[in-house]
Amino acid sequence: MDCRVLSVQSHVVRGYVGNKSASFPLQVLGFEVDTINSVQFSNHTGYEHWKGQVLTADELHVLYEGIKLNNVNQYDYVLTGYSRDDSFLDTVVDIVQELKSANPSLVYVCDPVLGDNGAMYVPENLLPIYRDKVVPAADIITPNQFEAELLTGRHISSERDAVEVMNLLHSMGPDTVVITSSDLPSPLGDQYLVALGSQKRVSADGTMVTQQIRMDIPKVDAVFVGTGDLFAAMLLAWTHLHPNELKMACEKTVSVLHHVIKRTITFAKEVAGPNRKPSPAQLELRMVQSKADIEDPAIVLNAVVL
Amino acid sequence: MECRVLSIQSHVVRGYVGNKSASFPLQVLGFEVDSINSVQFSNHTGYSHWKGQVLTADELHVLYEGIKLNNVNHYDYVLTGYTRDTSFLEMVVDIVQELKRANPNLVYVCDPVLGDHGSMYVPQNLHPVYKNKVVPVADIITPNQFEAELLTGKNISTEKDAVEVMDLLHKMGPDTVVITSSDLPPRLGDRFLVSFGSRRILMPDGTRTTQRIRIEVPKVDAVFVGTGDLFAAMLLAWTHHYPTDLKTACEKTFSVMHHVIQRTISYAHEMAGPGRRPSPAQLELRMVQSKADIEDPAIVMEATVL
Repeated sequence: MDCRVLSVQSHVVRGYVGNKSASFPLQVLGFEVDTINSVQFSNHTGYEHWKGQVLTADELHVLYEGIKLNNVNQYDYVLTGYSRDDSFLDTVVDIVQELKSANPSLVYVCDPVLGDNGAMYVPENLLPIYRDKVVPAADIITPNQFEAELLTGRHISSERDAVEVMNLLHSMGPDTVVITSSDLPSPLGDQYLVALGSQKRVSADGTMVTQQIRMDIPKVDAVFVGTGDLFAAMLLAWTHLHPNELKMACEKTVSVLHHVIKRTITFAKEVAGPNRKPSPAQLELRMVQSKADIEDPAIVLNAVVL
Repeated sequence: MECRVLSIQSHVVRGYVGNKSASFPLQVLGFEVDSINSVQFSNHTGYSHWKGQVLTADELHVLYEGIKLNNVNHYDYVLTGYTRDTSFLEMVVDIVQELKRANPNLVYVCDPVLGDHGSMYVPQNLHPVYKNKVVPVADIITPNQFEAELLTGKNISTEKDAVEVMDLLHKMGPDTVVITSSDLPPRLGDRFLVSFGSRRILMPDGTRTTQRIRIEVPKVDAVFVGTGDLFAAMLLAWTHHYPTDLKTACEKTFSVMHHVIQRTISYAHEMAGPGRRPSPAQLELRMVQSKADIEDPAIVMEATVL
């Protein structure tokens, strides 16, 4: 497999978010991963302290220019995630568009990170940029319910609403949409959260078909950081390895997350000790320890085709 | 295995040098790798063009401060390589010394990159900093012949000279020295080059001994970049797994190098086409493709115990 990904995300010295979360699993699956680090911080911002430096839009452009001058600006995928800077995001879109002119088959996987649980946690002015520029250039997006609602201006109260929102998102650009979490009630009970996916594709006889799925995912009683980045990276991998099979791709992706999270929470509790809440440092994803699960995830859930 | 490495090296968007060369293989072997990127360049400087940004000594300090403020400045290993900046190098030494106070068992693996084939390719003023400050705090160093001669002021014309120079280097600080290449005449013929290793070991029975080896490695007709960084990382890994057996640690390390290089050169020739010299881009190490060799390198050369 000679598949090259350009991933433009944060770098942390310690821990697994952004490029640290995405690179190792993609490399383990055989992808070549070129990484532009949008920031370099000591650790993620959920710790008590964090320190570091950010890359400006100009500096991003300079790095891309280096790649371009050497005529190696050919990529099969672009992957982006958490960003706080509107001009940086604009530059990312310019780069994606140029890379798509060089390779029209390029797939842009975008996690449109805006917020969660009803509140934005990036500057407000990023919303119009995602809505009007980024999402239209994207091929695969992984919004949570809040982000899907924000981008479409529509509320999700039922599975039917979710399907309509995913269709709206398709009409904005991306052929693949995964709503990574929602507060919709799960048929399996309140220990589960509902995720949904939708993939538009042209079938063998030339017609446009849409496959839609629902997943019921066990809730975990802890706050993890970097899981969204791992999710987007693994969705990239598994949709690549199972094109036109959204059900399989999502089952594998969600299963990998499940294995990594379980291993992490077990370790965190062990290190924290009985009855103590694990710290952010202790809750860092057990990424290198999960290599075998990343390479070949045992499937632990059944996605329902809608 | 719960082993944490702090690696302070370059980052390139594309390709495998510095931290890009060291991280993946160490992670694949189960090491936790925290990485501070001393620069971020589009690619290594052997290409026609390269662009990017460097980290200052102050910015390095700021990142370390973040780690320290969170009380997670505990490492089992520090790993460093190519640097061009004396104040940066001095800051690295300060960090190593502080980390050694926190963990007296910390092992500092240092590639004292100064030059090769008779000439320096870093600023001259790095030489005294390596000699007087860095090497004295290092535990494992991987100089080539030129660097070993520069650091000790002694010329190597024979195997006996090599052993004396390694003993001199031990006296300066490091208990483990590997002279990664030399121009001494190989016994296996001129398609090989000769390397040496020396390790002062505290045996389980309490006695001290020095293990010395000679190893002859097939020459390759190509210029690779990043192989020294991979070597130092893999020596870290294999001396960790074979703490009292330098012979095996070196056989594994040199064998991994062989497999990666062979795979790379086959691919490069294929890409370049018959009769054409591969480009720097084509000669990038086939790192992700070599995962199995990294995990479990078949030993392809035998070290002679001196």
